[in-house]
Amino acid sequence: MAIQILINVLLALLWMFINNSFQVSSFLFGYILGLFTVYIMRKFLPEEFYLKRVIKILKLVYVFAVELFKANLSVLKIVMKPQIDIEPAFFAYPTELEKDWQITLLSSLITLTPGTVVVAVSHDQRTLYVHAIDTKDVDESIHGIKRSFEKMIKEVSER
Amino acid sequence: MRKQDNDVILRSMTLVIFFIILTFSFALFFGGHYTPGGGFVGGLMTAAALILIIIAYDMKTLKEAVSIDFKKLLNVGLIFAIGMPFVSMLFGKNFFQHFHTYIDIPVFGKTSLHTAVLFDLGVYLIVVSVTLIIILTIGENE
Repeated sequence: MAIQILINVLLALLWMFINNSFQVSSFLFGYILGLFTVYIMRKFLPEEFYLKRVIKILKLVYVFAVELFKANLSVLKIVMKPQIDIEPAFFAYPTELEKDWQITLLSSLITLTPGTVVVAVSHDQRTLYVHAIDTKDVDESIHGIKRSFEKMIKEVSER
Repeated sequence: MRKQDNDVILRSMTLVIFFIILTFSFALFFGGHYTPGGGFVGGLMTAAALILIIIAYDMKTLKEAVSIDFKKLLNVGLIFAIGMPFVSMLFGKNFFQHFHTYIDIPVFGKTSLHTAVLFDLGVYLIVVSVTLIIILTIGENE
């Protein structure tokens, strides 16, 4: 992915030098033309065509925004209740992600969706210890959310 | 300070945030003539970026990454800060009188060169090295 982006930027710079016009508009036009060129040569370059992964990353951002909104509403409901009857608990969440940045991204997504906070990562990086604000009925749905996040992070990072 | 069991989140975040802090410190340093900022704040931000490495990893990693003797860097900064006024004396001006010229650099266009930048660079180096000398001396006192 990185090498393809680098080739694309170099092609855009080449386009600027060919036309002898050094403006942002010229760079953008050259970048679009370079995108076309990289798409034609995608079989000869390492990894898949990088726009696919960019779209996946944008999808992850969109899902995260929606989840943030929904989870904040649910925490608001808990806070506004006259009698707060929640059952906070810690639970261990087994993860299949391996790389450091994947685990960091997953932990950040879990922490930023309210109601759950990652408190620690185990030494073998196989388990995240999560503190949830309400575990009565949310446990299963939390697992669903986490599965979706984890699945999307896997999709983003697969070659 | 007892370290946490697994610092993976802090460490991978450091890899991202370090570059941003260092770039921002350079922006503060170079914007000091027209906007708030300058040598002192820029130096403190650079020192903060280096201290972030110490917090996330340890002293040995910083020594591998930045293999500079900070006591020597302090001397270099003092030479910059003291040498600049004497240079202005060599040109027949008053002690500490700054002067500036405009130079046409092919890519950057009309660029103003000011001797105050050299003095500020001295301040920057002194602040970075003094902060890190203090931190490293306290930290290594096991």
